Amino acid sequence: MILNIKYFGVLAEITKKKEEQLVLEDSNVTLNSLKMKMESAYQELQKNNYSIAVNQAMVGMDTAINDQDVIAFLPPFAGG
Amino acid sequence: MNTTRYSRQIILPEIGVLGQQKLQNARVLVIGAGGLGCPVLQNLAAAGVGFIGIVDGDVVEVTNLHRQLLYTLKDCGKSKAVTAAEAVLELNSEIKVNVFNEFLNKENAFEIVGDYQIIVDCTDTIGIRYLINDVSIVKDIPVVYASIYKFEGQISVFNYKNGPSYRCLFPQTESLGSVPNCVASGVLGVLPNTLGSFQATEVLKIILEIGKVLSGKLLLYDGLHYQTQLIDFNKNPAAIEEAIANGLMILQQNSNIVNENISVATFIEKCRQDNCLVIDIREDYEEPKWEAPNVVNIPISSLENYRNQLDENKEIVLFCQSGQRSALALAYLKKEGFTKLSHLENGIESIKI
Repeated sequence: MILNIKYFGVLAEITKKKEEQLVLEDSNVTLNSLKMKMESAYQELQKNNYSIAVNQAMVGMDTAINDQDVIAFLPPFAGG
Repeated sequence: MNTTRYSRQIILPEIGVLGQQKLQNARVLVIGAGGLGCPVLQNLAAAGVGFIGIVDGDVVEVTNLHRQLLYTLKDCGKSKAVTAAEAVLELNSEIKVNVFNEFLNKENAFEIVGDYQIIVDCTDTIGIRYLINDVSIVKDIPVVYASIYKFEGQISVFNYKNGPSYRCLFPQTESLGSVPNCVASGVLGVLPNTLGSFQATEVLKIILEIGKVLSGKLLLYDGLHYQTQLIDFNKNPAAIEEAIANGLMILQQNSNIVNENISVATFIEKCRQDNCLVIDIREDYEEPKWEAPNVVNIPISSLENYRNQLDENKEIVLFCQSGQRSALALAYLKKEGFTKLSHLENGIESIKI
């Protein structure tokens, strides 16, 4: 399946991209397993706190991920 | 109220004179008078929000001026809260402004938040954002949130009509100390002005009860690529529980902090409070007499005998001639397990009758 991943704030600096398309062979993917996959691809992510939205909604980490889903990696910003 | 001043918004059917009245009666606390706080304050003051609190313990620096448009070069070194108050009062002298020239912290949060109806979170530290969240949940006050990073921003309204909170969006984790602020990472000057204007819009909508408030939704703004999107999020019961527990703990700790040395003004106020026992510990021949319904005379020499007749849960205020004996009596009662104690610091002599 194909996923569209978006990165915000400092996370885009870690991955050096605002978004990317991810092609996965495995069709049995949860949000948690996707998070672990991305954190091993970009290890700096592990040091950051962030929430993940699927198709513009915050969902539980056990949510199943489907083909063409849009996944957003959102860190809290501190600045004011 | 000067309706001419507000005529261009009163003419809107959604606002009208009634709406303008709501704005005039509204009480809004703006925490942080920096990049976000400046546009929020300017817009709320101009719109005629009647009571505005400004919390900031910082001073204006030259590096603030590219984005904090309430301040000018001559304000550098001056208190932000005081300077911002002067600037918005110049913009609109019909409103009332309350200045808190201090940073919000666990010790002062509940006292500062007081009876404000809406909090605007314009701070720049993640830990303080959690504190604001927890205090606002305990006090049932909505929080209009924004935060910025370089060219991006986030806006949402938390705790609105029992809606989701900051912790529901970003559960607290250990690594939060590493989140950079504007000092560390830099920021496009115009960005907080955009985001602060969004915040002011939400504040006005909440007061006026119009439109759709940004509750349960996070608005993401990217100024560099002109992209915005809305992310939905729900209430997380565990996160709300954590917020309530933490907020109540802070409230409890605050209520245990009692200033033991009280001023004449506070003393006179205490003499009017039925729930407070005021003890004159001087001998009965000493002058001047001080009379109020809640004042009793127990000379310090007899205090030990009366100890068992005093209620440990009641607030007790002690006084003598100069404050020396009352300090001793306070120390004695403290050792005996009394907790809500204070004394008139410089004695009855300090009251000019």
